[in-house]
Amino acid sequence: MDVSQYLEIFIDETKEHLQTLSDQFMVIEQEPENMDAVNEIFRAAHSLKGMAGTMGFKRMQRLTHDMENVFQEIRSENMKVSPELVDVLFRGLDALEAYLAEILETANEGTEDNEEICQTLNSIAAKATGKEAPAPAGGAAAPAESAGGEAAEEDSGSVDEKEKYTSIQITEYEKETFDKAKADNKNIFGITVYLQETCILKAARAFLVFKALEEIGEVIKSVPSIQDIEDEKFELDFSLVYFTDESLEKVKEAIESVSEIKEAIVGPFEVKGDAKEEKEEAPKEEEKKKEEPAAKPAKAQAAAKAAKAEDKKAAKPAAKAAKPSVGRTVRVDIEKLDVLINLVSELIIAKNGLVSMSSTDDSLHDSGFNEQIEYLESVTTNLHESVMKVRMVPIETVVNRFPRMIRDLSKKLGKKMELHMTGEETELDRTVIDEIGDPLQHLLRNSADHGLEENEERIALGKDEVGHIYLDAYQDGNNVTIEVRDDGAGIDIEKVKNKALEKGSITEEQAAVMSDQEVIDLLFRPSFSTAEKITDVSGRGVGLDVVKTKIEGLGGSIECKTEIGEGSRFIIRLPLTLAIIQALMVDIGTEKFAIPLGSIETIEDVMFDEVKLVQTKEVINLRGSVIPLIRLGQILEVEPGDYEPESLTVVIVRKGDKRAGLVVDNLNGQQEIVIKPIGDYIHCSKLISGATILGNGDIALILEANTLV
Amino acid sequence: MEDINDVQNLNVAGEGKQYIVVRLENEQYGIDIKYVDNIVRQQKITRIPSAQHYFKGVINLRGEVIPVMSLRLKFGLKPDEYTNATRIIIIKPEDQSAIGIIVDEVREVVTLSADQIEKPNTSDNNDVQIQYLSGIGKHGDGLVTLLNIRSVINEKESA
Repeated sequence: MDVSQYLEIFIDETKEHLQTLSDQFMVIEQEPENMDAVNEIFRAAHSLKGMAGTMGFKRMQRLTHDMENVFQEIRSENMKVSPELVDVLFRGLDALEAYLAEILETANEGTEDNEEICQTLNSIAAKATGKEAPAPAGGAAAPAESAGGEAAEEDSGSVDEKEKYTSIQITEYEKETFDKAKADNKNIFGITVYLQETCILKAARAFLVFKALEEIGEVIKSVPSIQDIEDEKFELDFSLVYFTDESLEKVKEAIESVSEIKEAIVGPFEVKGDAKEEKEEAPKEEEKKKEEPAAKPAKAQAAAKAAKAEDKKAAKPAAKAAKPSVGRTVRVDIEKLDVLINLVSELIIAKNGLVSMSSTDDSLHDSGFNEQIEYLESVTTNLHESVMKVRMVPIETVVNRFPRMIRDLSKKLGKKMELHMTGEETELDRTVIDEIGDPLQHLLRNSADHGLEENEERIALGKDEVGHIYLDAYQDGNNVTIEVRDDGAGIDIEKVKNKALEKGSITEEQAAVMSDQEVIDLLFRPSFSTAEKITDVSGRGVGLDVVKTKIEGLGGSIECKTEIGEGSRFIIRLPLTLAIIQALMVDIGTEKFAIPLGSIETIEDVMFDEVKLVQTKEVINLRGSVIPLIRLGQILEVEPGDYEPESLTVVIVRKGDKRAGLVVDNLNGQQEIVIKPIGDYIHCSKLISGATILGNGDIALILEANTLV
Repeated sequence: MEDINDVQNLNVAGEGKQYIVVRLENEQYGIDIKYVDNIVRQQKITRIPSAQHYFKGVINLRGEVIPVMSLRLKFGLKPDEYTNATRIIIIKPEDQSAIGIIVDEVREVVTLSADQIEKPNTSDNNDVQIQYLSGIGKHGDGLVTLLNIRSVINEKESA
């Protein structure tokens, strides 16, 4: 069938699942006992397998299948997560990513079998289950299956697997219904239905099966549960227990009348513990098949290879003909879309207002006309903003691949290190997101390679053996700041100086008068690397200057702070024409201001007599800590209002450990605001970090609480 | 050589330069039209604390926050009196962001050829305002002070 229309969805979802896998692999590497992670992986691998199968990517399907198998064993606690396993899994993940890349490129998964990874996975799984012959069970059946073609599929399972209904457990309560049914002389059947692998709407097919069955009988129990089937939480088969007056053939017919059903196996069902006389009858025909797969794994594999080769030939030209057009897509929060839809409907209302006005053609309506125009204007402005908001993507999409990278680096460099990330939810424009990945990667690699000392050295220095690298992203007024810091050795100023002298970038005289900061800035010059040994991780001298160029290309800036022995810190500031933050709207006098929510700790009502004076400065004693009060009205030169309130509304803001209380006149609730730059003509005080436009078109200034504290 | 220059000047002059003539108190000023992005009515200006005294604040122009300065205050005249004729001229130099300037009235657009423009008397350096001028245009009976808009909007020294 033609699945090309699903290709984009497939690629999108695969990316998501791969990310999940990557994240969770990291988790189980740290906490091998974490069952949530195991389950998560199992689900992701399972979905991947299903999707790859639907799309006809057999190799991908096989690999994910093997991963899933392993996790099945872990889930059933037959084995534990071992470091070797995680390594294999990561290799498998890379292989899957390679498949995906290939699919992106050619709409075909390529020809790399990754046999070795599959084998390793299988042997791990086999060891766990204690099966003496690992290949026939999982290993051979899977490739045979993946070789494609209906023929192979027939061989895929043994009897026990096919008649899954025999394993349905019957509870005491259900037993009663059984007895009743027996008394009524009803036939009790166990049914296992197999859907075709190409079936896309599995839940719908299953539903049709149920419907067909319920017309002539009663479904007592199903595995998985009906709920799960409806939610499509099953693979290609489901089993059920069924009461009916009709014969076995009739039932089978009814099921097979539903399309996209591969096979329906119907057999008499006996409650466990009861007599099993009739049980033999059904399996007979399957018996033969059972022998086959066991006997011919080798053949199957060979055949599979041949089939694959043919597949390749057949698929290649086809793929070329239909070179996929994979568009660049953005996943959009449904709420943002709702806002857009609302705005569009408002736009239509505004238009209708204008239309009706023009049709009445009454000069009396002139003022109304202006009103409508203004309305239209504000709607379109909002529309513009909302559309721009849609372009905002959380930085998470770039940084979430870093933990994996650091893990690999850690192994490669033989240093123990950990990456700590915060603020992944900070939003940046899509274009910036696309560009910022490489520079960040560079900086992280630098930190890992040059920044952190060797483990022994760290221990000798009395530091934690494990090196720490931090990646913090946060909104800072009109900027988004991303900090990459490590607790490593820091940058040796003298070393940099000497290097620069050696390279002739500076003269002796210059070196003598240079400040430390100036020396550090030398690092950002082209072809400058202080790494004594050049590794393939970094240190080819194309590091920081490239980073700098890139960031400046985005309109940002980068600076470096360092302290010998304490570590270094690279601070990237990206200016935002359209940063969006949550803010508390406050009134001061008649003017409106916005205080970024991020810096607010609490809001307090303070009575006048609680305000004390310390060295002529107003302070309050808030639950034991003394907090200076800042009268925003005075600082901002707002004309004081007439009324005298009985108490002060104080917004407590914090910066690091320091806190301050901002006195405001009124609170206006929380709002998501779009930060607009004020421009560089006005030398406004540092208190103001930008402005925002309110719903009614008014402007509110954004207070930079950090500078007040 | 002089002949050729004259011819070129004439050609340019023939097309002339267009200026928007605005009124401040009783004087007329001309603003080169190539800098003018838009002219909007007086609207609500949001004050910016501790800005330069001649900056009235910022306005919302179709979703953009644009700073607005008072030409009167910049030129050391009396504070603005907002009337129905008051306008904000949005200036957008190519390489800079937009800025609004408040004028008492927008009169007309005039085309001045080179021979209608007199260079300012640069020897008269006592006048602080001289740096803001690019010439004096003669239009009909009146004189129009042509503004050097870049130096007006870009502060060189605190006035």
